[in-house]
Amino acid sequence: MKHLLWAALVAIPTTLAAGVSTVVTDHILPAHARFAAATQDLAAATEACDQTEMRAGYHAAFDAWMGVNHIQFGPIEAEGLSLAIAFWPDPKNQTEKALARLIAAEDPAVHDPAQFAEVSVAAQGLMALESLLYTEREETAYTCALTQAVAGHLARNATRLETAWRESHADLLTDPGPENDTYKSQAEAQRVLYTALSTGLEFLHDQRLGRPLGTFDRPRPKRAEARRSERSLRNITLSLQALQALAIALAGEDIPKSQMAFADTLARAGALDDPALQGVADPAARFRIEVLQQGVAAIQRAVAEEIGAALGVRAGFNALDGD
Amino acid sequence: MPNRRAFLAGLLASGMTAELSWADAGGPSHLTAAMRPDGTYVLVGVRPGGELAFTQPLPGRGHAAVAHPARPEAVAFARRPGTYALVIDCVSGRVLQHLSAPAGHHFYGHGAFSADGLRLFTTENHIASGQGRIGIWAREDGYARVGDMSSGGIGPHEMLRLPGQATLAVANGGLLTRPETGREKLNLGTMRPNLTLMREEGEIMAQAALPEALHHSSLRHIAGRADGSVACGFQWEGDPFDSPALVGLYRDGALHLLDSPPQATRRLNAYVGSVAGLPDGRIAVTSPRGGVVQVFDPTLGFLSQSPQADICGVAASGGAGLATDGLGGVHHVGERLTRIGQHDLAFDNHLVAI
Repeated sequence: MKHLLWAALVAIPTTLAAGVSTVVTDHILPAHARFAAATQDLAAATEACDQTEMRAGYHAAFDAWMGVNHIQFGPIEAEGLSLAIAFWPDPKNQTEKALARLIAAEDPAVHDPAQFAEVSVAAQGLMALESLLYTEREETAYTCALTQAVAGHLARNATRLETAWRESHADLLTDPGPENDTYKSQAEAQRVLYTALSTGLEFLHDQRLGRPLGTFDRPRPKRAEARRSERSLRNITLSLQALQALAIALAGEDIPKSQMAFADTLARAGALDDPALQGVADPAARFRIEVLQQGVAAIQRAVAEEIGAALGVRAGFNALDGD
Repeated sequence: MPNRRAFLAGLLASGMTAELSWADAGGPSHLTAAMRPDGTYVLVGVRPGGELAFTQPLPGRGHAAVAHPARPEAVAFARRPGTYALVIDCVSGRVLQHLSAPAGHHFYGHGAFSADGLRLFTTENHIASGQGRIGIWAREDGYARVGDMSSGGIGPHEMLRLPGQATLAVANGGLLTRPETGREKLNLGTMRPNLTLMREEGEIMAQAALPEALHHSSLRHIAGRADGSVACGFQWEGDPFDSPALVGLYRDGALHLLDSPPQATRRLNAYVGSVAGLPDGRIAVTSPRGGVVQVFDPTLGFLSQSPQADICGVAASGGAGLATDGLGGVHHVGERLTRIGQHDLAFDNHLVAI
């Protein structure tokens, strides 16, 4: 097995070489443009602090985030923006604590974008907005200003990401070579995209599904992502769709096992009527969420076989060996 | 008094190659274990420019190595819970000695030489008691086992001798494991990691730990710095999304964590795989799980990071640092990571400066 994988590392099939530019033009750039537009709409929707409008804007922005959430390399990493956009998982309820501190102090940072950029990242992004829009708390002029500050900051971050991708990182990723300081070879560019795919699937399996599932004896329904706004299942579905699009664009050729696994798992998600995954604590309903998680595991295997092996990407020699 | 002939015979038998230095082994500046494309394992010497100086076979997967301070011989350790270590002549490739952990002990994968180069120290588990021990081996007696002493805790992992001193530093990771349960951690509820400083004779001079609330932070990897302080890399055994900062510094008797923004801490995936003190005073750490190398200032904390898949080995080199990854890359660690070599090898966890 080791022989085969190493041989694959040396000779990368040309069919996969086309994949990088397709991923950038058909997947990464349009998804970032949608995210930037949706967060700008959300910022506009907070102007009157009308809860119905704000909630609609929040859902549209979160939907758009799920289209780029798995792209965790490049500008988002260089600028350290991931947690500022979505602070989750949050086992210590840091978002609630950070918001409570701001509200109790009526921190004037909400009136100055530069100052707001310096408050705790736990109070900055989509999860902070969820708390502001879906948790019982007194609505005051300050919470309105805070909601506007969070939405405005999110829109600026989304625009920074979109601009960085469009103006520079897209070219870096699609034109690798010895002169390129970030991507020295086509293989390196492909590997970073494959890592985004496999890491996204792992996050879906271990965190979005694994955290609320916990164990049979100790399910953790309160750990479901965005459960207050009942987006847990929706995030899983949208994440599956985004990862499916990435897989297809990256492969650039038929990947029948992966396609079947994605379709099957999306069907399982579609058949679940449990938006906040609260069924994890009910033995009968829990089974269907476990089956969904097994579907993600099947995608992970198929993708490793059909795309990872072709790219010569081995499971990490060091990353999987603890010490 | 032995005659010259007997003396020479003894010299050969003990593996001493008195005339040879590290220059005779191709001028390596660093050592690391690696896997070849065919799945076999080797110990390799790396030159400062990223080229390979030598390649010597190992019988199984290695973990770390330690270089003799003067002679071109290295001790390569099996990954835990291994029971073998090999003393290798890095000029001829000859295995000079096979070291076996004594009955009832296993190695943890790291070791250090005494300041005079006469004794080798190895981190070990006394299996019956679960207590960490430091094995002592006499080089001039063909690496005979001559005793052992307390490591000052449970689960000693990396140990080293402080630069220019006869003081040993031991990272007691705090995790109890047993051979029959492999790498399963048996004492997560009660683990108490510490850094122990001891004289080469075993007298414990100082011990330091993080505050009680951080007892799930396992101290595994350390690097001695020129000023006598020790850079520390932790592995968080709790919820990875609840991880505290994982890079610390022991200085003037106290161990404290260096500041790191939450974004940078999460990037490590609760896991630091290697630590190096860079010659300019900064500290480099790697996380193969996060696929990242991060650089810290000992006072200011986190400075910068560079992504690199499966990176783990890192060590001081010249004016900066050198790092290796599981995909065969050798990198210069400066302001950013620059690839300076690429080999058909998967470099293993640790890169050790000679």
